[in-house]
Formats: sequence, structure tokens, C-alpha cells
Amino acid sequence: MAKQKYDFDLIVLGSGGGGSVAALIAVGAGKRVAMVEPGEMGGECPNYGCVPTKSLLHAAGIYDEAKQAQQFGIRSGTLTYNYPSIKAWKDLAVERTGTTEGKRLYESEGIKLIEGAARFISPHEVTVNRRHISAEHFLIATGTHNFIPPIEGLEEAGYITFKEAVNVTRPPKSVFIIGSGSVGCEFAELFAIFGSKVHLSDITPRILAKEDEAVSELVREIFEEERGMNVLTNTKVLRVAREGLAKRVYYQQGPTEKSIKVDEILVATGKLANVDIGLENAGVEYTPRGINVNEHMQTTARHIFAAGDVVGPYNYTHTAIYQSRIAANNILHKQKIAADYRAVPRVIFLHPEVASVGLTEDECIKRDLRVKKAIAPIAIIGRANTSNVDKGFVKVITNEKGILIGASIVSPRAGEMIHELTLAIQMGLNAQAVANTIHAFPTWSEAVRIACSKVAKS
Amino acid sequence: MRTTIVKIHGQTQPYDEHKLYASIYAACLSIQTPSGEAEVTAKHVVKTLRSWLKDKPEVTSHDIRLKAAHLLNTYNPHAAYIYKHHGKI
Repeated sequence: MAKQKYDFDLIVLGSGGGGSVAALIAVGAGKRVAMVEPGEMGGECPNYGCVPTKSLLHAAGIYDEAKQAQQFGIRSGTLTYNYPSIKAWKDLAVERTGTTEGKRLYESEGIKLIEGAARFISPHEVTVNRRHISAEHFLIATGTHNFIPPIEGLEEAGYITFKEAVNVTRPPKSVFIIGSGSVGCEFAELFAIFGSKVHLSDITPRILAKEDEAVSELVREIFEEERGMNVLTNTKVLRVAREGLAKRVYYQQGPTEKSIKVDEILVATGKLANVDIGLENAGVEYTPRGINVNEHMQTTARHIFAAGDVVGPYNYTHTAIYQSRIAANNILHKQKIAADYRAVPRVIFLHPEVASVGLTEDECIKRDLRVKKAIAPIAIIGRANTSNVDKGFVKVITNEKGILIGASIVSPRAGEMIHELTLAIQMGLNAQAVANTIHAFPTWSEAVRIACSKVAKS
Repeated sequence: MRTTIVKIHGQTQPYDEHKLYASIYAACLSIQTPSGEAEVTAKHVVKTLRSWLKDKPEVTSHDIRLKAAHLLNTYNPHAAYIYKHHGKI
């Protein structure tokens, strides 16, 4: 406990998952805690990220399934949608996360909330709206901001990012998406389902470049064949120009330069850490990728910790929360705990969903690991028959001893299925152990058992 | 909103653009940069720093020095070195 030498025991910069969890743990342990938030309470996830996008994608999924319902003998009149109502549904989901109540909630827990941007002016002191406040410990959870590539004419022509895309009042008739990571792909799917002509571009040779190559190939096939998207890989956007109310995007694919006229441009080219907070005044080292921390989430200034997207290596709410818990423990207790990223589940909420955990095959090759792998196509299981699904797979990777080290799934409910493999990797189980486990028939998870059985026999 | 500068011992003072301009200009001249070029460089640095400070009510003098040196380094690395280390030289 601080000896009242400082205003607070802990000041948390940022009210998102990376900050709020530690703040609540610390105040629960009797510490004097302040939380500084320059934007909306709760940070990106509930306001612009996971919650609104998943709500919109849920509505899109229902609309898409309804369009295909005829094959199951279901008849309906004209099927249509009202996007303002879909947006209202999304707003309700956001509201139900409690972000609007957040301030009151935290204050009722005893956390002092300070609205404004914090900036370190010395190792134990920050300034917020010219008010100087000090603390024994700090937790930096300031998140990220969008990286906007320097493309000629982009600023003048105008563009949207995910922040605006969740609040459009109607889907654009046509959209050019720059960046085919998880954010780019989720919005590509959302707008395509609601009738937009989607051009999905990336400078990389494949979409979802961080995922297993088999995932990228299948998602591309679904995007092109079922969603009617124009997928442009190995594509560099050269410049953008306004054409009346529309925008013309000039891009280079191989040696040729082409152009497309679209209604809207969505930039989804990644994020940069919010590190312009006077870290130099506190002795905290960082790179453009984020704040340097050790396995205890401790920065180069030993009393300052960092968690969430500002640290990486993953930009997920669940990793931010995990890191925040670790930071809180290590601030409060002498017995330190370390972060372990062997089994971080990653989910992309497409239809079908994409989920992965641990290493991809590419990463194994880069690390020169000798591995075994097996794929179980979704089409071979009973649930695929009863649901009339023929696209998808479960791919598992083990080390030479058969211990599971990675998995990728493309399947309905992949986001739920992945947790069985996440637990197996976390616990160091071999594939045979999963293969020996009874899986209910007919469930999607049977494909997990089959893939594990195949790799165990190989 | 006028930015306040927190100095090394905690005392504060309003940000003075002219002071920054003069120190950048002097750093450029100290390495024999033509005065016209020194003027343009100093103007660029001051303008960019003005935009960086737009949403910052308070920064330290160290922040200003680091940011200005970083910006100056783009135009004139030798002058940036002098600016950054002039107290020690």
C-alpha cells in the first residue's frame, strides 16, 4: 500500500478490457485506483469493435440463412431487410454491454474516473487536463488507432474505417476495402450479404494472410463463388480520386494498372499503438508496434505495467483481459505470474466461422519445426449432412511426439469448437487424447475428433 | 487552447512558438545552413509541432525537445544533433 506519498496506488490509462479488469481487481484489493479515459467508456470493443460488428454480422447471418431456407422446404414471401432497424438492433446490443452505465458502475466500485487524455510528465506523475496526479503504479492500456496508408488522394476523396462502418445508415452500393485481415474480411462479408458489390484488396498474396493457407484459400473461394466478391490480392492501391459523389480507386496488380469506381472506400490496414503519452518522461521504452513489456506485463519502468492492444502481440479483447489480470496480480503481489500465449484462440466471424489456435503450418515451417498434420473435411460428418453444409474443415498440427501445437477450423460454430483444441494445447495434450474422447453425434465437433484421430495415426 | 510547458523542476510556462523557432533557426545556422533554408526549416518544424500540440493541454519541455529534434532530423540531421545536444556541447 502506498504511504500516501502519491495521490493513488494505481492509475489506469484506458477503460477498455486491458485497463478496467485490473482497475476492478485492484480496487477490490483495497487499493486507491483512478482510471483515465479520453474517449468512450469501455474502449473500442463494445463501442466500435467486437460488439457492434458481431451484432451486425448476426443479423447478416440470419438474412443469409433465410435466403437459403427454401432448400429445407421453408417458404416465405418477399425477403427483405431494413438497415436502419438492423443498426437499431446493433445499438441495442452496444447499449446492453453497459458502456453507457460504465462510469457509474466503476464509481460505485470506488474507482475514481477522470475524463481526458493522460500524459506522463515524470515517472510517477501524469497530467490530465492540466491536473497533475501521481501514483505508485501505473497500468497503460491506451489501445490503438487506425493506420491509414499514405495513398495519394485518399484524404481528399474520403474514406471510412471500421468505426464509421458500424454506423452507416445503409450499406454502400459498392465498396473497395483496403486490407483483407479479419476486420476487412468481416466487413466484406457483412456488406456483400446486404447486397453491396465488394472489392476486397490486399498487398499480400492471399487474404487473411496471418491464417493457415488452407483457410485463406477456402475463404477466398466462398467470397468469390458465394458472395460474388472481387478479391484482389497482390494489389497495391496507387491513388484515389473523387468522381462526383463516387470515388475512383487506381490500383496496380502485377504489371498492370487498373481502376474501379465505387461508392465508398473502407480502410482496414491495421492498427498502431497509442504511445504518444509522454512515455519518454517516464522511462518507458516502446517501438511503433507498441510498448515493450516483459512476461509480467512490466515495462522498462518497473512500476509501470502495460496491457491490451498497446502491447500486443494480439489485438483481442480476450488477450487484453488476460494481460490485465496478469498485470493486476503482479502489481498487487510479490509472487509474479507470467503471460503464456501458446493457446490464444482467434475467431473471425464469417459464415462459416474461421477459428484458429496455436501455430499455423507456415509458422511451423518458419520455426523449422518437424510436425505432423491432418485435415478432416466438414462434409464427412453427420452434422454437415443434416445441415446441408459442404464447405469447411478442421486442421490440426502436432509435434513429432503427437502433442497438439496448432489448429485451424472453417466451419459453422468454429468459434465454439476451437476451445476444445485450445484447452488441449494449453494442457499439453496429445491428439490421441482428443481422439479417444467421446464426441456427441451429430455435432460439428466430431470433425475435431476425426482430425485428431487422423493425425495420431499418421 | 494554449499548451502549457512543464519544465524539468516542475515549474510551468505557456508554450512559446517564437522561442522554439529561434532555437531551431540557431541550430541550423550553427552548422552553416544558409539563413533562407534555416528559416524554412524552422517554420516547418514549428508548424508541425503546432499541429501535434493541438490536442495536448500540457507537455514537458523534454517532450518539445524530443519532438522538435525528431522533426528537424528529417530536414537537417546535423542541425538536429546540435539542437538535441546543445546544452552538453
